[in-house]
Amino acid sequence: MTAMPRLAAPNGLLIDRNRPVSFTFEGREIQGFHGDTIASALLGADVKVLSRSFKYHRPRGPLTMAGQDANTLVQLPGEPNVLADRTPIRDGLVVKGQNYRGSLEDDRLMILDRFSRFMPVGFYYKTFFKPGLFGGGSWKFWEPKIRAMAGLGVVDLNHPHGYYDKQYLFHDVVVVGGGAAGMSAALKAAEAGADTLLVDENPVLGGALSYARFGPESDGGRSRMQALAARVAAEPRITVMTDASCQGWFADNWLPVIRGKRLYKIRAKAVVVATGSMEQPMVFRHNDLPGVMLGSAAQRLIRHYGVRPGSRAVVAAANSDAYGVALDLMEAGIDVAAIVDLRPEPGDDEVTKAALATGVTVIPGFTPWQTRPGFGMRSIVGVEIARITGEGRAEGEGHSIACDLLCMSTGYSPTAHLLYHSGARLEYDEATAMMAIRRLPDHVFACGSVNGVFDIAAVIQDGERAGWAAACDIGLDAGPEPAAPNRTGAEGQTHPWPIFSHPKGKDFVDFDEDLQVKDILNAMADGYDHVELVKRYSTVGMGPSQGRHSAITTMRLVAKAQGVSPALVGTTTSRPPYQPETFGHLAGRGFEPVRLTPMHHRHLEAGAQMMPAGLWLRPAYYGRKEDREKAIAAEALAVRQNVGIIDVSTLGGLEVRGPDAAEFLNRMYTFAYLKQPVGRARYVLMTDMSGVVTDDGVACRFSDQHFYVTATTSGAQAVYQHMLLMNAQWRLDVDVTNVTASYCGVNIAGPKSREVLARICSDVDLSAEAFPYMAVRTGTVAGIPARLLRVGFVGELGYEIHAPASCGEALWDALMEAGRDFGIRPFGVEAQRLLRLEKGHIIIGQDTDGLTNPVEAAMDWAISRNKPFFVGGRSIAMQEARGITRMLVGFELVDPKAPVPEECHLVVRDGIITGRVTSAVRSPTLGKVVGLAYVARDQSEIGSRFNIKIAGGRMIEAKVVPVPFYDPENKRQEL
Amino acid sequence: MTLQPLDRTRRSFIWRELVAAGARFAEVNGTATAMDFGNPAAEAETARRMGLVDLSPLPRTGYKGRGALDWLRSQGVQVPEENNRALVQPDGSVACRLAPSELLLLGPLDGAPGLVDELDAAWPGPDAGTGAYRVPRPDTNLWFALTGSDADAMFSKICGVDLRTSHFPNLGIAQTQVARLSGIVVRADLGATPVFHLLADCASAGYMLAVLKDAMDEFGGGLVGLAALRELARS
Repeated sequence: MTAMPRLAAPNGLLIDRNRPVSFTFEGREIQGFHGDTIASALLGADVKVLSRSFKYHRPRGPLTMAGQDANTLVQLPGEPNVLADRTPIRDGLVVKGQNYRGSLEDDRLMILDRFSRFMPVGFYYKTFFKPGLFGGGSWKFWEPKIRAMAGLGVVDLNHPHGYYDKQYLFHDVVVVGGGAAGMSAALKAAEAGADTLLVDENPVLGGALSYARFGPESDGGRSRMQALAARVAAEPRITVMTDASCQGWFADNWLPVIRGKRLYKIRAKAVVVATGSMEQPMVFRHNDLPGVMLGSAAQRLIRHYGVRPGSRAVVAAANSDAYGVALDLMEAGIDVAAIVDLRPEPGDDEVTKAALATGVTVIPGFTPWQTRPGFGMRSIVGVEIARITGEGRAEGEGHSIACDLLCMSTGYSPTAHLLYHSGARLEYDEATAMMAIRRLPDHVFACGSVNGVFDIAAVIQDGERAGWAAACDIGLDAGPEPAAPNRTGAEGQTHPWPIFSHPKGKDFVDFDEDLQVKDILNAMADGYDHVELVKRYSTVGMGPSQGRHSAITTMRLVAKAQGVSPALVGTTTSRPPYQPETFGHLAGRGFEPVRLTPMHHRHLEAGAQMMPAGLWLRPAYYGRKEDREKAIAAEALAVRQNVGIIDVSTLGGLEVRGPDAAEFLNRMYTFAYLKQPVGRARYVLMTDMSGVVTDDGVACRFSDQHFYVTATTSGAQAVYQHMLLMNAQWRLDVDVTNVTASYCGVNIAGPKSREVLARICSDVDLSAEAFPYMAVRTGTVAGIPARLLRVGFVGELGYEIHAPASCGEALWDALMEAGRDFGIRPFGVEAQRLLRLEKGHIIIGQDTDGLTNPVEAAMDWAISRNKPFFVGGRSIAMQEARGITRMLVGFELVDPKAPVPEECHLVVRDGIITGRVTSAVRSPTLGKVVGLAYVARDQSEIGSRFNIKIAGGRMIEAKVVPVPFYDPENKRQEL
Repeated sequence: MTLQPLDRTRRSFIWRELVAAGARFAEVNGTATAMDFGNPAAEAETARRMGLVDLSPLPRTGYKGRGALDWLRSQGVQVPEENNRALVQPDGSVACRLAPSELLLLGPLDGAPGLVDELDAAWPGPDAGTGAYRVPRPDTNLWFALTGSDADAMFSKICGVDLRTSHFPNLGIAQTQVARLSGIVVRADLGATPVFHLLADCASAGYMLAVLKDAMDEFGGGLVGLAALRELARS
């Protein structure tokens, strides 16, 4: 479709006529210009219907052209509910309407409009709670049908994720709103020395100056805008952010601002809200049809995009701005059939006089009573007007005026969402018929029409005052206080009752939710008499435009029904976000740290299947997934019979140093450490204040005042923080340093591990006599400085080698090379779990839970009873005195061919749960199923039998056996 | 055959990424260090705008404990008067005071043995009663330098601290979160070029590199070699 001729410059401020852009809407090719929004380009191509309404599927066209209404929501590929009057066109863009059956032009579901009387407010509440065809049980039947008929766009779950990110910004002063007030405020603050950010949601600064008429001459706004914008551009302390929506105000002046696909998180010392005001629609029958729009919307189309909004217009007026709209329409070549002024007489301002001087027909004391819909209600062909006889009352005289455009310019409401978020107090002001600021919080300022100042000269003055105040607030010397404006120009801007309910309805209060006047009144009649209850019951103000155009009307209707002033009713709570925002904006670029050991790539090269362990990745086993069981068995066999190597770099490492190091450990852990010899390692078991087991490891004493303590992979950080907390309380002379990442760790285990290590470690005597089990040494391995620990988690002769992380890969390579002749084989976490279970070693968090104390975990051997204190000691003593009710025991299945129980399979006796399995495995070494389980105290004796309920409800019998299951005399690890 | 990371026992935490990016290595501090990526002159220009240099191989050390700062002073270290401030030492190393009881010392860009080595050699161990305890910084933290006029803007995408050069002073320190990792950020400009040293968990070096490359992308930033950083120091 070829674009209609656009109006000549200076109209079309935002478009570049030299850069045509083609896109499709509903499959039709549309041509616009660079700078056009989807909506402006469509109207430029004489496409008037952009969407279908939420409930009744009525055709809708642009209302505000400012991204403030739901009429322009369209569907893009992969993105529903896009504001067509905010979204720029680009070549090849595919745009569709949404929420229709058939076509946007001929929506079969528009039949619902005829049945609106059967869907009163509270329809769902009233209909689906009772028995019968529409009763409660039938909701599942009706819900999908209703959802298919009502709603907005469609989410494409297969659409690829977009790239969104976030950015932090910091400024002394943030001014939100780049109109005359905002620019003036920013200039004043910046000139006082404030680092100032000026945020505006439009493509250019100027606000109403960019489209509205400020005086009899058409360029009054433009010249002011250019002058202010030039000063802003020249001010180095002002950063301008256009096309940016400030979504809310949060504590301490934290402002989320969305521009494009980035969410800016902005901190400001002071905030100036200069967000202006929103023109409000009237209420009359068929006030929602394409062709009915705000006067400011028509002006935006003309001045921003050079688009004629119609060919023959009627202007509904209640202020001088309406006459400016009429002048603009006439200058755009549009026939203005009449100005229907709700007031008894037009004003005597210069703009009105200029309009009257054109000879345009003015009909004072009248209101639009209803529009006459065109075919399919896709346009209007005229408007019927009626004489106003009282508040909300009019006498129809059948006077009809042919037109295809009805502009509504009858009043404003401050765009005060940020002020509401900040806790500012606003009240309805009878004199101006608008909400007015009564109190602002600290460090928040307001100016311009959001502050009730409309006269353009006063707006600039008010902006300077706010900028000055913000600068002073942050401690700058901003000079003497600017003079306050003499007059605000607020009175007479807004008609107090632009609501003319029609007996036949379709007089919409809320376009988003298709709510009519009677719906608000019926909500109250149903007993929901508070404005917040009216909102929740009727859903008024809960649609995409969040009550921007319905809140004031609702307040007025509720007030009138109750016979009180609107000031007593107030508006509903305004909450962020101001504009719809995507989950992508909230999520931003995902930051998900992952920790890799120095040997990570060697594991991948060896075919490891990696598994997460906290933030770490660890090899689960080496080999193909389909060979998992075989691989684990082979790895375990290598350790039992030969030599294996496992990466244990993820273990926590903590340096505990200082004169009180031993005393510190004595208090932190259950065992005794004061007399631990240098060169020896000792098991550590940590409990919390309530005596619950939280971690374990070993403490290696490298000198009198130096312990190197290991912790579990997942518990390392918590142990470190716990130590810091306790150290701060106890004030011992000790220092704790977390060196988890500083040291890599490798465990070589198996009967041949000593031979392997001996090949590359010449400065440590590795003999059993010189370096016995649970001894620690320092030396070098392949020339790499290392700490060597003879510990045996897997129950074989083995050495844990801890070395600088940057040398980890070289250490691994050296050990693999040294072990090549011995057939050394890397083993993963799964094989390690199997091997440790054969030894009956517990894993904290798997064989313990959030209630386990050391005694019931059969770890009382690790408790020193001779020391005065350790964290959790008192709680353990109390629990022992009260009586231990469960015990962790080793078991084997009576039937060796029975299935292996899984973790958390229950131990059941006479239908009563007495415990659960924590670990179980079919041991290739032992040739039977062994495991650990909690059982009742009286089931814990060696030889006791108990039943485990496995998957499918089958019971299998197990008996308590001593641990370790393998090498009970621990000879192999002490070789 | 030029030096490759595998030729040495000690290796950068991101040596694979450096090799993949075409790094040319030279030995610094016993480690293969990426000196450039084939075009030193262009890299110097990149470094003035937005560059990332892997300094992980360079010397650094740390000491903490109740007696740490006194012991360091006794060894001739000029300790900053305030926490979260840094001081350039005569040999070019940068002493960063992290707390009343902790100091991080970043070695000079030439990688030559200096104060770092002297301190580590002089440290008498944990039992000497100095109350100063060594922290194995070379193996604890990755060390990246983020350079150039856009570095502060890049940081604003991944760090919640105001690091704008107009507000965050040269030789200032921020101990904060960077891309959800604990990190130490030290500003130590070279000539007129802003330089931020980032130290963070070495186990997450690959993650951090990916995040930084992504964040630098909109500024046209990229990996540059140590030679580019040295060039900034000379200019």
